Amino acid sequence: MNSIEKMRNRFIYLSLIIPLLLLVGFVVIPALDLFRMSFTNWDGYSQNSQFIGFDNYISMFKNKDLWVSLKNNGIYFIAHLIFIPIELLFATMFTSKLRGAKFYKSTVLLPYIINGVAIAYAFSYFFSPINGAFDSLLGLFNLEALCRNWLSDEKVVNYVLSFVSLWRFSGYHVILFMAALQSIPKDYMEAAEVDGASSFQTFRYIQVPSIILVIDYMLFENIRGALQVFDIPFVMTAGGPGYASSTFTLYTIKTAFTFGNFGLASTMAVAIMGMIVVIYIIQNKILHYSNGPSGKKFLSQKIGKKGSKKEVQG
Amino acid sequence: MKKKTFAKILSTMMIATCLTACQGGNTPEQAPAAASATPTEATQNGNAELEGTLVFALWDNVSIELFESMDLEGRFQKLYPKANIEFEKLKDDSEYWNAMKVRASANQLPDIMYNKTFTLSRFQDYLLDLSTTEAVKNNNIAEGYRLNGKILGIPEKMTCEYVYYWKDMFKEAQVEVPTTWTQFEEVAKKLQAYYGSSNPNFSAIAIGGKDEWPTYPFVEFMPALISGNGQNWNTMSTQDEPFAEGTDIYKAYQKIHSLFQSGAFGKDPLGIGNDQATALFAQQQSAILASGGWALANIKEGANSIDNLGTFYLPVRDSESEPFRTITQGDSFLSVTSSSKNPELAKAFVEFYFSDAWYPDYINAITDDNTMKTVTKEKDPVLAEADTLQPNKELVMYDGGGDNFTALVSATTFDYKKLGAEMLIKGYDLNSTLAELNAKWKAARQSLNIQ
Repeated sequence: MNSIEKMRNRFIYLSLIIPLLLLVGFVVIPALDLFRMSFTNWDGYSQNSQFIGFDNYISMFKNKDLWVSLKNNGIYFIAHLIFIPIELLFATMFTSKLRGAKFYKSTVLLPYIINGVAIAYAFSYFFSPINGAFDSLLGLFNLEALCRNWLSDEKVVNYVLSFVSLWRFSGYHVILFMAALQSIPKDYMEAAEVDGASSFQTFRYIQVPSIILVIDYMLFENIRGALQVFDIPFVMTAGGPGYASSTFTLYTIKTAFTFGNFGLASTMAVAIMGMIVVIYIIQNKILHYSNGPSGKKFLSQKIGKKGSKKEVQG
Repeated sequence: MKKKTFAKILSTMMIATCLTACQGGNTPEQAPAAASATPTEATQNGNAELEGTLVFALWDNVSIELFESMDLEGRFQKLYPKANIEFEKLKDDSEYWNAMKVRASANQLPDIMYNKTFTLSRFQDYLLDLSTTEAVKNNNIAEGYRLNGKILGIPEKMTCEYVYYWKDMFKEAQVEVPTTWTQFEEVAKKLQAYYGSSNPNFSAIAIGGKDEWPTYPFVEFMPALISGNGQNWNTMSTQDEPFAEGTDIYKAYQKIHSLFQSGAFGKDPLGIGNDQATALFAQQQSAILASGGWALANIKEGANSIDNLGTFYLPVRDSESEPFRTITQGDSFLSVTSSSKNPELAKAFVEFYFSDAWYPDYINAITDDNTMKTVTKEKDPVLAEADTLQPNKELVMYDGGGDNFTALVSATTFDYKKLGAEMLIKGYDLNSTLAELNAKWKAARQSLNIQ
């Protein structure tokens, strides 16, 4: 090994020390401690705690309020999942030669820039039963019959909260899709145009496969976001009435701080990490299976074919 | 070989980092030892040389405004010129307790913190004993909150619970101030029928059910008022089925459930928070509001005039032949934490706080009652009306529940404030919830071995 290589290696090691220490100190050790705490009955105050084996895990599975909360997370997940194709379509429209596209682009991102808590507060007044703007709007169009207790009716509250979540995050998703769409080499699009591909065919066989990694990321974000949703229900309903609009994270925090059971709350935190990974793996399998037997490879082959066509024509 | 050397260096650095982090804070046992002289001695010796910055955490808007407008820090600095006070304001009590809990586990509590009756036992490992202070000697009720021989907080005020009402609205609807629970329920229904027919947004009783905690005057205190047992939560810890028919909690919750289902809380009490409910009451969109003395300042702020504002105590009794009970408790316990870097100065601050240099002016500026023998205070005229209406009331000294109760709450997830909010849901099945709670309670007592 010559001196330049030695210096290079030394530089690499030195550069790695700080990020590695930060990673170990702030991610690895807390995660391991969280895992350790999930087997204890620590109450958050006491100096000591006892090891109680799998009691917390058993208690978590038996907790029906937690299952109600998890079901509510499912509503956010499905609502956002349904919206992903719509967001993709909007992104495609905005990247095409649409009149006023720049205006739409900036407007669509606006809700994401605004502070989440502020949005939740604003919408809690929007859906307020006393002088609420939404009920007034319905009244304006003689639709008073549709008025509900938007934030306290167990049957509708989660859909209202999911709507607020969609309002806040959809714009961000559209912008990410747009960035991905704009990164597709123009050659592919031109080749498809020359071949006489329709807009749908271009979308289906060129654009979607080209941004499959971003779609993957978005689906992962959907799982993570849906399972960790917190600020909107916390501010708008505090998880109520009862646990009707509670979410997994909200219930975890309640377990830790209201019921003083940090051990069980740690178990829930471990469970949420596990769920995110498991659901992502299942979703990934389904997505790539539906795209063909060999998944991404199959898609990249298609892109390759389109690319080579252009080369031939060129 | 080099890789091994590198790994060794890396491991040594990581261990060193961890050890340094662990040494960062004193353990709760170590910190008090630093306080060699008591503040009493320090004050008597005129130890104005004490220096440092005290962090004082609180959530109460009224207090923080008064601390600033009445210059708490400036007054303290007249005695201790080298001392500073840094106020740390948290949004509300929920956020305050969450923050304190996290900081307690990290040994990062502020120097001075407020406690409530039910938090003294929870934070007992992190609070210094104030038994030897002059402030304790001059306090009327501090001795009553002694815990394992120590006084861990000095209550700055006595709080009572009131029912605020608009006299002109009562007069127009031709209803009288109720003195029994049945009358209270009837008055609420009549008011709802009278005003609700022309105003769909009207609620006879204002309550911010969305926040859950505003249900506390009913769900937290009524079980204690039924029997006059201020230790009712501790009594519950000794019972296998405290929610069974015939118990205090059963009787209280059946009454509350009946009232909450009566429609007297307007069209959607769960859709509004406490701020909205108080504002609606202040603007006479509601006729009744059950809350503590602390709420008077907020009502005054939102009302055009308080000429017609009156108070009475929540009548829980079934008939006028029974004693009329009302709840009272020490509140805002000033505590010095073991995390304090200046425990001597912090204790000196507590002495100053309850001395003539600060306390009389402060307690006269707030609506709650005084706790010090050295001060006399007239009640606010609006709140005094409740006393005039019930001169022979029986005071029940409330205790928030001890360690056993806390452990059982944790194991059974019994949350009375949430339960109160749930009772506002139309058609809510209270009996099945109580039965379920009984089963959980019994199992938890067995598993926790609580006798």
